[in-house]
Amino acid sequence: MRRSRCVAAALMLIVLASTAASLSSPAGAAARGKLVLAWHAGLASRWLDPQEHDGTATPDNFFTAIHDGLIKNQGTALFDHPALAEKFTIAPDAKSATFTLRKGIKFHNGEPVTPQDVKFSYENYRGAKADVFKKKTERVEIVDDRTIRFHFKEPFLDFAILFGTANVAAPGWVVPEKYYKQVGADGFKQKPVGAGPYRLVRHEPGVKLEMEAFDGYYRPVNVKQLVMTSVPEGATRVAMLERGEADIIYSVPGELVSRVQKLPGVTLAPVLSGSWFLEFPGFQDPKSPFRDKRVREAVSLAIDRRAMNQAESAGFGKVSGNWINNDVQYALEWPEIERNVERAKQLLREAGYPNGFDVDWVTPLPAWYSRGERLIGQLREVGIRARMQTMERGVFFQRLQGGIKEWPGVQIIFHGIRIAGSWSFWYEAHVKCGGFNSRDRLCIKELDAKFEQYERSINPAERKKLAEEIQRAILENHYLVPVFRHAFVNAIGPRVAAQKWQDVFPTITTGYAYPWEDIKLKEQ
Amino acid sequence: MWQFIVRRLLYSIVTLLILSATIFVIVRLTGDPVSLLAEAGARPEDLERIHRQWGLDRSWPVQYVSFLQNIVTGELGKSFNYRLPVSELYFQRLPNSLTLGLVATLISILVGVPAGIISAVKVNTWWDTIAKGVALLGLSIPGFWLGLVLILVFSVWLRWLPTSGAGDWRHVVMPSLALGWYFAASMLRLTRSSMLEVLGSEYIKLARLKGLPDVVVIAMHAFKNALIPVFTLAGVNMVVMVNAAVIIEVIFAWPGIGRLLYEGIFNRDFPLVQGVVVMAGFMIVGINLIVDILYAFIDPRIRLTR
Repeated sequence: MRRSRCVAAALMLIVLASTAASLSSPAGAAARGKLVLAWHAGLASRWLDPQEHDGTATPDNFFTAIHDGLIKNQGTALFDHPALAEKFTIAPDAKSATFTLRKGIKFHNGEPVTPQDVKFSYENYRGAKADVFKKKTERVEIVDDRTIRFHFKEPFLDFAILFGTANVAAPGWVVPEKYYKQVGADGFKQKPVGAGPYRLVRHEPGVKLEMEAFDGYYRPVNVKQLVMTSVPEGATRVAMLERGEADIIYSVPGELVSRVQKLPGVTLAPVLSGSWFLEFPGFQDPKSPFRDKRVREAVSLAIDRRAMNQAESAGFGKVSGNWINNDVQYALEWPEIERNVERAKQLLREAGYPNGFDVDWVTPLPAWYSRGERLIGQLREVGIRARMQTMERGVFFQRLQGGIKEWPGVQIIFHGIRIAGSWSFWYEAHVKCGGFNSRDRLCIKELDAKFEQYERSINPAERKKLAEEIQRAILENHYLVPVFRHAFVNAIGPRVAAQKWQDVFPTITTGYAYPWEDIKLKEQ
Repeated sequence: MWQFIVRRLLYSIVTLLILSATIFVIVRLTGDPVSLLAEAGARPEDLERIHRQWGLDRSWPVQYVSFLQNIVTGELGKSFNYRLPVSELYFQRLPNSLTLGLVATLISILVGVPAGIISAVKVNTWWDTIAKGVALLGLSIPGFWLGLVLILVFSVWLRWLPTSGAGDWRHVVMPSLALGWYFAASMLRLTRSSMLEVLGSEYIKLARLKGLPDVVVIAMHAFKNALIPVFTLAGVNMVVMVNAAVIIEVIFAWPGIGRLLYEGIFNRDFPLVQGVVVMAGFMIVGINLIVDILYAFIDPRIRLTR
């Protein structure tokens, strides 16, 4: 009996010792192998600096490797996954937020991550939505050596969601104050130092980033070397995968999807991405046929969403009923809208268009022209005759910002967007009068009034109710017509250990493969 | 002679000024780059801030003068996208482009010149027909298609060569073949027509009448004279290959100047596009200037003509 107790005690000691050893061993020490990501565009240096987040969904691919935030979107957590902060609380009146940093966290240069760095990162932040944070923040208080508190001038209910969504804004992504000031903003973009799972070893601007697992990271990092290389041509990326030169490739071109599916050991990762929907700019103009709700409904019924998904996303997209992604806060689930050509024609007859009508231009988001052509073909079947307008991407955004004067006559805009975080960012961007993308093209007063009420409210239940009411009104009145959610089709090579593609792409609010530290390679 | 050189230098400066003004205006006609630098549809105050940050709030003449001042001081501005001086980016990529351009030029000469000579010497035989066919294919096969076929055959099927990127000599083979192929065809055609012209000239007929063997006539008399325009073309081709191999560099993810230009255009990175075009202009104008001066040395009639 005594002997067995001794054995049990010894075993326990061994277990405790090994656990302690595993906890105290550096995160990257056990990392091995090399993972190569073939990135589908150029590599802009500005994406390496969270302080100048451009508000698009692109930089988070890089931030999540080199940097870290206090909280972030990861896995199924939309914004509140604890990262550099082990915990956080929002005051009941939403007028302050308190974060507690993890113990012993460091930047890649060995300096500790301090509340002062957090304060500097927040106050110095000048990227997307910086004005919102500045306007609402009264002061930032360093409570003790691990605790920091943000005080707001008024209830700031969207603070956490804005703060923690890497593809919306990044004031919560911490940069080392001393180093940042020492090298300056431009120097930092060339040699960024962060607190993320990978430290930058080599940077060829626009071409390649070579990174190595950071020993001081607070989570285990599985792969020793991470290389992100820019390969703009889709067929070349696929060839790299076939030859084993790349382990993960982004954006498999539609025509190569079936080839990739047949490759031994390769897993296709069709990540659901942005939503595509139609807008009728200036639909409230008495001269516009789209002023009539029946006409807008006819357009909706004319669309063959399943065919669109099949042709444009190899069937990997999702035919959803809402124009807002369902992976954001308060997004409303809405049933799929079936195609009904007869009903569409009948509605057009009732609206006074028995022979249909002409649409001056259908303008799809550049450069997704093939889906614009498909839409035009489908509309033609119910008698709506349209031509497609193509333009360079920058021009498109510029014209969106120009408001209704840039979209004269009878027009349809075929949008495709992805915004993480909250449904309200979608509304603010694409519906609200004076909103940063909608400008004066829609201006639906009753909805804007409700949205104002939503923004003022600090009662979550009331906010949810208002959010759903607004979305329902948009869908029932066909102010915007949802088409489908397209798939960002990626592929995973045979060296990566994954049972299913979601093992490598677990974060539902992004098309990218983070958290990077969790990716494993198979045993050699 | 000095007058001629000064005159040529002035022409070159005027050409570069026209080029700089043209590229300055053209990039601005494409629209406002800030719409691509900011989030889609950013707030007006953000856009204003970025305009100020990059000096885009100034009038075009002021921006142009600043651009010229930068050129004179050897600066080409700072890239919007990379936040690095354009000259630094350009010279980082230049070695890769020079490597690619040199190898592709060599390929184009090694394939185009001998084939052109054989085609001209064996005119209207099946040798000539094959050479003309090769030239036709070379000029009509698009580089991007050839590039992808090369990747499929040599990288994916045979596994001999890496698909893309820069590294050791194996990385250079496919992009330089894909790039040199087109230029080899143009060299072949020019060599052929140049050789045919020389072979029909009086002094060649005289050489033949003197009973010189064919090899001597072709190698010693015809070849040397026929090559002058061919090598002039090779020089210009090389400058084009170094600075504007956009499609090939994109297909093979080759980190050269062509790809830099592509990225600049794609992101409306005005300083980058302006800088790359001006540098290419400098190279072309510079090479032409040197060639003009050399011609003038060789042939005094040239410097006497205005």
